[in-house]
Amino acid sequence: MVAQLKAKNKVALNYLYDHYSAALNGVVSRIIKNDDLAEEVLQDAFLKIWNRIDSYDPAKGRLFTWMLNLARNQAIDKTRSKEISKGKKTDDIDNLVGNADKQNSSEMFVDSIGLIEVLDKLPDDQKFVVDYLYFKGYTQSELAEDYDIPLGTVKTRLRMAMITLRSIMNVN
Amino acid sequence: MNIKEYISTGILEAYVLDELSSTERIQVEKDLTDYPQLRVELELIETTLEVLMQTASVTPRARLKENILSLAGEGAKQGRIISIAVSPMWRWAAAASVVIALVASYLAFDYRDKWISSTVALNDLIDSNQQIAQDYNNVNQRLDKLQNDFSIIENNAFSKIILKGTENNPEALASVYWNSASQEVFLSIQQLKELSAENQFQLWALVDGKPIDMGVFDANSAGLLKMNLINNPDAFAITIEPRGGKASPTLETMQVIGMVNKG
Repeated sequence: MVAQLKAKNKVALNYLYDHYSAALNGVVSRIIKNDDLAEEVLQDAFLKIWNRIDSYDPAKGRLFTWMLNLARNQAIDKTRSKEISKGKKTDDIDNLVGNADKQNSSEMFVDSIGLIEVLDKLPDDQKFVVDYLYFKGYTQSELAEDYDIPLGTVKTRLRMAMITLRSIMNVN
Repeated sequence: MNIKEYISTGILEAYVLDELSSTERIQVEKDLTDYPQLRVELELIETTLEVLMQTASVTPRARLKENILSLAGEGAKQGRIISIAVSPMWRWAAAASVVIALVASYLAFDYRDKWISSTVALNDLIDSNQQIAQDYNNVNQRLDKLQNDFSIIENNAFSKIILKGTENNPEALASVYWNSASQEVFLSIQQLKELSAENQFQLWALVDGKPIDMGVFDANSAGLLKMNLINNPDAFAITIEPRGGKASPTLETMQVIGMVNKG
């Protein structure tokens, strides 16, 4: 798969898009609330994946992780650019994924009910870090700073969240 | 290396988020090749993340796929051969135009190559620039933290309470900086023992004889740790609790205690 991508085989890009565009868009479209901007970011992310596939090294992690980070970083960069004012800081702490999704009334979010169910099974403090780090575009240090949580606590909470998620979703 | 403890700090999750400084990242990459257990853990984290993200899927609009595939595939267009039956003069003209076309295509190809290689070089530069900016931010944040810590230690509004080791661990030592006006509390660790991955330290404040949870932390935390706010504490103490902390302290595990001097 990676070899096909590196050989610039468009069939491989087609495959990537079919299997991962929705997962990557799940992150991008939650970080960026404007549908058109989110689409632009996702497109840029895919073109980056395609153009920079040579810098992906399987020894350092999975292809999905690499793509996810490209997309997440692209989205975070966008929120910092002048095109978007960072309204997220005023979000109430209780305003977790469920609420955020309801604000986007578009039918695109129908398929994310599964996410709300999964996150609702996490203890509140773990749900908070997963939600803010992956779906609200915060970095770990921003989260620590903005919410006065020690950085080490942010890290261990994410760690515990991943363990809880592992058993909720039966990952072995 | 204590693998369990290493993993329990959440460093692998931060690696997966791509939020380590380049020095830390290079170290983790080396550790991953040295310790197969870490690699197994990393794969579990990555798989969990992928499953979570598939659960979080939001299908993009259909037109996006076409856009991406066509933008990704912008390449040389195919020419077509057209035969024309014409006079010799036109043949010469045709031959000349073929030559011109060939030269032009060669130049086009040549420029395209140069354009691609400069795009690649530009992308590399952008990447390394982002890396440098990230490192710079990390250093800046650390400097901010140091300056901040220093200003608290220097500030007269903070009283320093020294927490001395109990008989459980006479050598243990920590200090609390408490601001009676703002109620802020910062903790500085001088000497606390290593804990297993399942446990964490928890700071308590004693107010009117009742213990109040002030937050959990690990022994290897550097600098001042910001803990919860507290009004009018009589004493501070640290116990060992299961990771994540408890609602009331396990007094038998008390490591240090110090009274607030209210003179």
